[in-house]
Amino acid sequence: MNTWKRYLRLYRILITQFLKTIMQSKVDFLMGLLGFFFNQILGIAFLYLVFEQIPSLQGWTLDQLIFIYGFAQIPRGIDHLFTDNIWLVAWRLVINGDFDRYMLRPMNIFFQVIAEKLQPDALGELLVGTILVVSSLSKGIVITDALHAALFVVSIFAGAVIYTSIKLFFAALAFWIKISGPFLQVAYEMADFAKYPTEIYAKGIRFLITWVIPFAFVAYLPASFFLKTGTSAWVIGVECGIAVVFWCIAYAVFNRGTHVYESAGN
Amino acid sequence: MKKSLRIYLPFVSNELKRQMAYKGAFYLFILISLFGSFISYYLWMAIYGSSDQAVIGGMSRNEMVVYVFMVYVTSSIVTISISDWVSDDVVKGTVAMNLIKPIDYRFSLISRALGDMIYRFLAPGVFIWIGLEIYKVTVLGMAPVTVGGVFLYLLSCVMSFLIYVLFDFCFGMIAFFTTYIFGLQLAKDALLSFLTGQLIPISFFPEAVQRIFDFLPFSSMVYTPVMIYLGKYTGETLWFMLLRQAAWVVILYVLGSLIWKKVTKRLVVLGG
Repeated sequence: MNTWKRYLRLYRILITQFLKTIMQSKVDFLMGLLGFFFNQILGIAFLYLVFEQIPSLQGWTLDQLIFIYGFAQIPRGIDHLFTDNIWLVAWRLVINGDFDRYMLRPMNIFFQVIAEKLQPDALGELLVGTILVVSSLSKGIVITDALHAALFVVSIFAGAVIYTSIKLFFAALAFWIKISGPFLQVAYEMADFAKYPTEIYAKGIRFLITWVIPFAFVAYLPASFFLKTGTSAWVIGVECGIAVVFWCIAYAVFNRGTHVYESAGN
Repeated sequence: MKKSLRIYLPFVSNELKRQMAYKGAFYLFILISLFGSFISYYLWMAIYGSSDQAVIGGMSRNEMVVYVFMVYVTSSIVTISISDWVSDDVVKGTVAMNLIKPIDYRFSLISRALGDMIYRFLAPGVFIWIGLEIYKVTVLGMAPVTVGGVFLYLLSCVMSFLIYVLFDFCFGMIAFFTTYIFGLQLAKDALLSFLTGQLIPISFFPEAVQRIFDFLPFSSMVYTPVMIYLGKYTGETLWFMLLRQAAWVVILYVLGSLIWKKVTKRLVVLGG
């Protein structure tokens, strides 16, 4: 219990320091926000234009697709907000030897990595996601009983954990290959596939994004559970299972990596 | 002419060499950008599958396949982001060095971009292009592209390239006012992918919006060469489109010169 308290206190202190640096450059903050906001909004504009031409996409209506699209942004945004520093492990910290500073402090290493930064750009994604999901509620296409509301929170949390795990896993490869940024980027960008119903893809791609790099379980599959499509609640169960398994693997690899880490020397 | 060639050619070849040095990362990035093409490929196939019409937005299903991948080839060689280099130079202060050298800063950037363009044309552009042509003829049963078509496409591409880099130079000038151009760049990329027709053919936009686009340089960046490649423009329209591209090259060139003059007057570089 005391350790938890200590870490919470540390987190608050570290993040406060970070927020101070952000306050110095409010314009930058706004632009980052704007960038991510735009990026997502145009995806929706694309869907609008397409649906001018067709009534439904393989049985999905525009409103449903927008819900899936918006839902996909929320776990992504949460992960982006809290653990963005993992990218630096993949690109810079290991090869530069800057990772040393985490090794020297008497704190959990993973905690230190993520506590160093909050990524306010992510608010752009969270904003778009929330707007789209909330506007979907008024259209009556989403099931809104207590069970679904509770599972909604669970699913978003599990989704964010899956994102973090995938990022952590690929970033941890940097301990062996020094720079793992490109690999992380490939894996991360695969998430874009899951913004749309996965039935539209060829079997190979569908298998890949459902079971190997399971972004379908972050976005499309749980989203279809909240829509009135008769998807069973098991989908959320499997999502949580995947989140736990992936987290354990990623964290184990990361831990193993910190043991083989050798500094850059001077 | 000969002198400027001697000055700026090293920029082209250096960039080419630099790109060759980091092949590994580059190929992974190709893979990532191809993801986008495959997502839109499958999305379009589903869209055509859900439509009761064979032609949507003026494109048949087969034309759309060609469109999606030619957009990839075209944008990979055309959209070379020189504003990255500008913001790098401004943040590090090296832009000062460029001001005291007897070279034109913008010209040196464009030369570098040209090296980049050549590299991207050789890998992967031309391979995907050839692959697409083979697929087009054997699987889709369409007629292969003519020599004249290839020539017009490449001509249009070169102008697209100039329009893009000249525009991006103007955009990069923002770096003189803010240091964090990353967010803006993201917004620019997103907006451009929409306005240039990369995400969806411009013929899908409502009529009124298309009229507005006629007066903006963006459709000349990617959409025009791809439509020329598809043989959608013939006769007078074709010449009009090419002329419009040429006009944009001139306009953006002049605009860039004006902004550059203004900006360098207020530039402050710390240290040295």
